Amino acid sequence: MTGFSRVAVRAVTTPPDRVPIAAPCPPGQAVPFEDGWREGQRQISGTLAACAAALATVPHAVLDARGLAPEAAIELARRVVERSWRWQALKRERDTELSRLDVWTDAPVLFEVGWTRVAAALAGQDFCRELVATPANLLTPVTFTQRLTRLRELGIGVEVLVRGDLRRAGLRGLLAVGRASANPPRVVALTWPGTQHRPGRSGGDAESPLAFVGKGLTFDTGGICIKPAEGMEAMRGDMAGAAACAGAMMALALRRSPCPAVAVLALAENAIGADAWRPADVIEMADGTEVEIVDTDAEGRIALADALVWTRRRFAPTLIVDAATLTGSIVVALGHQRAGLFCDDDTLSHHLLAAGEATGEALWRMPLGGGYREALDSDIADLRHCSPERMQPDASQAATFLQHFAGTTPWAHLDIAGVEAHEEADEEHAAGPTGFGVRLLDALAARYEADG
Amino acid sequence: MPDFAFAKPALPKTGALALLIAEGEAPWPAADSASSGGIARALKAAEFTGKKGQSCTILAPAMSGATMSRIVAVGLGKASEITQLGAEEAGGTAAALLAREPHATVAAQGLPAGLAAAVATGMALRAWRFDRYRTTEKDSEKPRLAKVTVLTDDAAAARAAHAPMAAVADGVFLTRELVAEPPNVLNPAELAQRCRRLEALGVKVEIFGPKELKKLGFGAMLGVAQGSANEPRMVVMHWNGAGTRRGARKEAAAPLAFIGKGVTFDSGGISIKPAGGMEDMKWDMGGAGTVVGLMAALAGRKARVNAVGLVGLVENMPSGTAQRPSDVVKTASGQTVEVINTDAEGRLVLADVVWYCQHRFAPRFMIDLATLTGAIIIALGHDFAGVFSNDDALSKQLQEAGEATGEKLWRMPLGEAYDKQLKSDIADMKNVGGRPGGAITAAQFIQRFVNGKPWAHLDIAGTAWSSKDAACVPKGATAFGVRLLDRLVADHYEK
Repeated sequence: MTGFSRVAVRAVTTPPDRVPIAAPCPPGQAVPFEDGWREGQRQISGTLAACAAALATVPHAVLDARGLAPEAAIELARRVVERSWRWQALKRERDTELSRLDVWTDAPVLFEVGWTRVAAALAGQDFCRELVATPANLLTPVTFTQRLTRLRELGIGVEVLVRGDLRRAGLRGLLAVGRASANPPRVVALTWPGTQHRPGRSGGDAESPLAFVGKGLTFDTGGICIKPAEGMEAMRGDMAGAAACAGAMMALALRRSPCPAVAVLALAENAIGADAWRPADVIEMADGTEVEIVDTDAEGRIALADALVWTRRRFAPTLIVDAATLTGSIVVALGHQRAGLFCDDDTLSHHLLAAGEATGEALWRMPLGGGYREALDSDIADLRHCSPERMQPDASQAATFLQHFAGTTPWAHLDIAGVEAHEEADEEHAAGPTGFGVRLLDALAARYEADG
Repeated sequence: MPDFAFAKPALPKTGALALLIAEGEAPWPAADSASSGGIARALKAAEFTGKKGQSCTILAPAMSGATMSRIVAVGLGKASEITQLGAEEAGGTAAALLAREPHATVAAQGLPAGLAAAVATGMALRAWRFDRYRTTEKDSEKPRLAKVTVLTDDAAAARAAHAPMAAVADGVFLTRELVAEPPNVLNPAELAQRCRRLEALGVKVEIFGPKELKKLGFGAMLGVAQGSANEPRMVVMHWNGAGTRRGARKEAAAPLAFIGKGVTFDSGGISIKPAGGMEDMKWDMGGAGTVVGLMAALAGRKARVNAVGLVGLVENMPSGTAQRPSDVVKTASGQTVEVINTDAEGRLVLADVVWYCQHRFAPRFMIDLATLTGAIIIALGHDFAGVFSNDDALSKQLQEAGEATGEKLWRMPLGEAYDKQLKSDIADMKNVGGRPGGAITAAQFIQRFVNGKPWAHLDIAGTAWSSKDAACVPKGATAFGVRLLDRLVADHYEK
């Protein structure tokens, strides 16, 4: 994992000298005081947030996890590492960052064993967060693709579709979304064969991968239906779904998951230009569905729809989970506390909800179909991609639109708008990108591994 | 509203005939043979198969021994899957097709008595119309359906099954009327007076005016009301259907409590709403309307349950006396609220009424209904109302009753993480938590006035009014919640 972990974490039974010791207390409990501090050692205590904030500027620290069960110690360390994330790549003067954490524990072996898996997820999460944090002039579909090639080191296959490939594959929706930008769209497929992959056998379900599909709008101006200027800068994060899928793949590879998985990232910049797509355009999507465009700022579902079709065609996956910062509606519905889960398969939904509870990346199931489908009836095409009315349940309508392109494959859609970044730091999160989805998808894969 | 009768199957001589046909089944042989197979041929030509929602009209068919003006066929879906709701919807569809006919006969001869009664109920629900303010409409333009005879093998059983359903439908009509009434007519005092009508059904009605409310410490509700020339009211309706029967368990004696938001007009107050669409705010008393109709339904069918219905009635107006954003009010619970947005007034009304209800009645559960937030429309649209509850069992019962009555609920989350958004710098809480999760924070606000009692909050802002016709619900006021909650009571609380 060398080269992928931001913080080197190890278990110790005796804390080294002259290294600050942090002893976070659970919320609501009194600050514990232990005697036996050695001279010259700084003690940091208080809430997890206070500890993590203090540790963020210390290069090397000890985390006092004595008396905790190994799982609890691991969780505590995870929170400290997750919370200590800061992104300073574009600053000339950088603060010191936490790079080494010694976990003072009674059960070092069990800690180390359990930590490997957590470290993999954290590395994937950091990868995701960095992608989300990177501004759109530095992270275009092309440079996003270049950053993904690094995953080859881990045994992940990286397949890139450039404009000509996209044309041949018929991904006209994605091409339309990316058409006005000087930065051409891409589709990237990341494949992890799984450590139990048996090459040569074909057809059986055992080799069919789990598929993750991510919306990767490296910047979303809204297109001709341009967004208001205020807050537009946040649209550099409109590729957080794709980043989460990429991060999850990194996590699976780092922990040598037995589970075959693929991630398909639909990368484009929704720009304004003389050749931009327009409201009222009708686009023949990859599966032949004719779609009337109502609002060019509802571009994510168009890019994703084509990616879903291509993913089914190319990989015949056992299931698909897509992740996208898709709608403002889901923020109004569920706030910043939960992402929306739209799923037409109760088993998959159950696994995702459970994975969400386990990782703290909480989901809430939202409705699909019915009246939401009726809102997508078009006067001149097979479907329209959103409703022109105000005050619409756009999140459910968008999900229902995607459902059409998921076909019969068990499918779930995660609308992660609102949870992909935090404006302010809190107990759980640093300010900035959260990496939401990486640990969730990793935990989902783990559940399918356990199921055999 | 048509009169309904039930009779043994016999082909009528005149009028219109509705044939309710299950999927793949042949039309009523008595009628089809009188038409020498013409009906079956017409249905075949129309590609009518009896699928749910299908319908077909045949005008002036040639029939031996009868002069029928019109035959309508309505699909029931698969014979083995016909539910009460399905039968009601088929009836509703038939009623819409028969609106021009003064007299109609409905052939439901294959259906059990209960479903035949449901057909009649569905017809009534669809045929309802609010005509009070149409003064120039010619009679020829009005719907004419006046008498309906439903043919069923066991007419007596159908009649018996129909009586309670008709009582519930009357409750629905009362709600629809209250919601449809304009706000210059239906102000809080007038709405309170209309609750008095329930006394005829055996409901005890108490009305509280501003003086009494002040004495009860309803600072939040009075703050909302203070901008309007129309005084607030709270109405408490008691239905003691379980009575104090000897042997009745104590648990069953504690009432079920239903609480409704009754803002007879919501201008938004000083945080005034945009003009476009403001006329819709006459139905911001939809929650209260539903509670009144529900109490009428329970009393009308003599439900064996004790229930109380409480409605908080105010008008929210901007004026020199109106409350301002940044005012702090003291609720009946003693908790203080910083009013950030005067257009988030419904929760202020509910806070006081909910608190009062649980302390006075110690109810088995409290269910409040309110056209509370625009956020719930952006979350769920018009397909579902949002249900927020601190009780999984109650929530599940509600969702099941919703499925059964077609008044569907989608559960939404609650939690500490959302509650935080209500933190105020100078009072115990703010009345709004911002745009993200707006319906959830509204529910959290109400929950702060619920002391751990089983409680559910139904945000019906997207479902109280409909802009298009549905099978059993003409466009306009839907009375969403009356049938749902009546069903909840019937299925779980009348044992």
